[in-house]
Amino acid sequence: MPTSRWLAIGLATVAFVLVFDGAWHALLAQSPFGGPRPPAEPPVGGIVGWILERQSEFYREISATIRSAKTDGSAVWTLLLISFAYGIFHAAGPGHGKAVISSYLVANQETARRGIALSFASALLQSLVAVLIVTIGAWLLNVTARTMCSAEKTIEIASYALIAAFGARLVWVKGGGFIRALQGERGEPALAVAAHHHHHDHDHGHGHHHGDGHVHDEHCGHSHGPEPSELAGPGGWRRGLAAIFTVGIRPCSGAILVLVFALAQGLFWAGIAATFVMGLGTAITVATIAVLAVLAKDVARRLSGARDGGGALFLRGIEFGAAGLVLLFGAGLLFGYIAAERTTCF
Amino acid sequence: MRPLAGLLLSLLLGAGAAQAHPHVWITSVSELVYAPDGTLTGVRHAWTFDEMFASYALQGLDSKKKGEYSREELAPLAETNVEALKEYAYFTFARADGSKQRFSEPVDYFLDYKDGQLTLHFTLPAKTPFKAKQLVLEIFDRSYFVDFKLAEKDPVKLVGAPEGCQMKFERPRDGSANAQTLNEQTFASGGDNANYGVMFANKITVDCP
Repeated sequence: MPTSRWLAIGLATVAFVLVFDGAWHALLAQSPFGGPRPPAEPPVGGIVGWILERQSEFYREISATIRSAKTDGSAVWTLLLISFAYGIFHAAGPGHGKAVISSYLVANQETARRGIALSFASALLQSLVAVLIVTIGAWLLNVTARTMCSAEKTIEIASYALIAAFGARLVWVKGGGFIRALQGERGEPALAVAAHHHHHDHDHGHGHHHGDGHVHDEHCGHSHGPEPSELAGPGGWRRGLAAIFTVGIRPCSGAILVLVFALAQGLFWAGIAATFVMGLGTAITVATIAVLAVLAKDVARRLSGARDGGGALFLRGIEFGAAGLVLLFGAGLLFGYIAAERTTCF
Repeated sequence: MRPLAGLLLSLLLGAGAAQAHPHVWITSVSELVYAPDGTLTGVRHAWTFDEMFASYALQGLDSKKKGEYSREELAPLAETNVEALKEYAYFTFARADGSKQRFSEPVDYFLDYKDGQLTLHFTLPAKTPFKAKQLVLEIFDRSYFVDFKLAEKDPVKLVGAPEGCQMKFERPRDGSANAQTLNEQTFASGGDNANYGVMFANKITVDCP
């Protein structure tokens, strides 16, 4: 094996560690709880401050614009524009499923196109949930913020549990692949083929569909676990739905605040429109990060040379690691070690 | 490899940057209350919420007149507020000559709603009233969910402070030379124990003879 290849593998490893370290820290850094002290971020230059400033500006302009839209209809266009921009910047923050979606894509042999679709679908669902909470809670039932907040909290806990369950399933499936790769079983050809999404008719003798949303899968205990190719590719939409639901069920606090404010101003529909446009902006950011994660893995795969045993092990290791990360996110969020975005409960 | 490095860098920025973002803005006015013997007995805050959060907080509350809320009508909400704030140590952190001081649960708390502005008033009694040559009081949310801003006009008042005490305050973003400003260095050198929100802290310092 040429040294350049090893060098490439090394570089790709570093790249992955960096990427996930970044995502991980972004989550950890949020903890308002007494738990582990949030580690210091080494943010790069003034970009951080700048993004924060933009975000705050846009967010604050949203309320001002809703207010002026009451008398001036054209302000609604401004509102939509600002909401869109806010969504883009805002999604760079914690939550919004960047980490989960990216890890999921890396853990599975997913395509960039699928990553984009997942990002948009989950952002859309997120907007929808926010609109539903406020429509039912504030508009129809006129409950207090406190009641709405408990609803939010319940959904939040459910979503964390879902992430953990989702991660557990991925770990289960990917752990098998990793162990087999460690044992030197030859799973690499399938890996190489899956990379290009050819139709591969190689016969490994197990046509069963694996783990579509199931946490446990009795087949995974077998020595012939699912090939990565089975977990990706066409027909995996049902599994994709699990990812969308896991990420999208939890609404963004910001959207809820905007909606309630719009409702109080008598412009609920403008708030709803703003929420969906915000979701569109969010989707773009999340999709960008998801695509980058997929591309990075793609590069790693190519560099490591899929036919080479060490390369396959390396890739399986990455997949396993990514799966573990989803589980860790879920468990961390669930037990309060990581706080994503705080709900507005005071 | 260069394009890859570029991609990864932007990915890192996306993940690492802007990991915090405020959803609530509070404009703060604070009074430091001293006893006749010169000990600090507590801090009285008046926090005005931004209009978006205010309408969220007021959602579903009953009032006799639409759009107007009396102190009594707001009492349950004030109760909720101070209870919830406990978890965050009331976002108020004091050090007397370097040693950390604690506060008891708030007293005399209420909300008022005037000209569309919702303000939470509460007094944080010092657990043990203390004297300090130098008192440092910081108001911030370390996870930066809440953005605190000292009011433009008279954000800090000393009530009954001993003769000769000097007060100064620093805003997080006022760019003044001696302030704990948000600059590249702050970000770059944040040690292991630094936390993010502290960069957005409002710092009040009182020096007494």
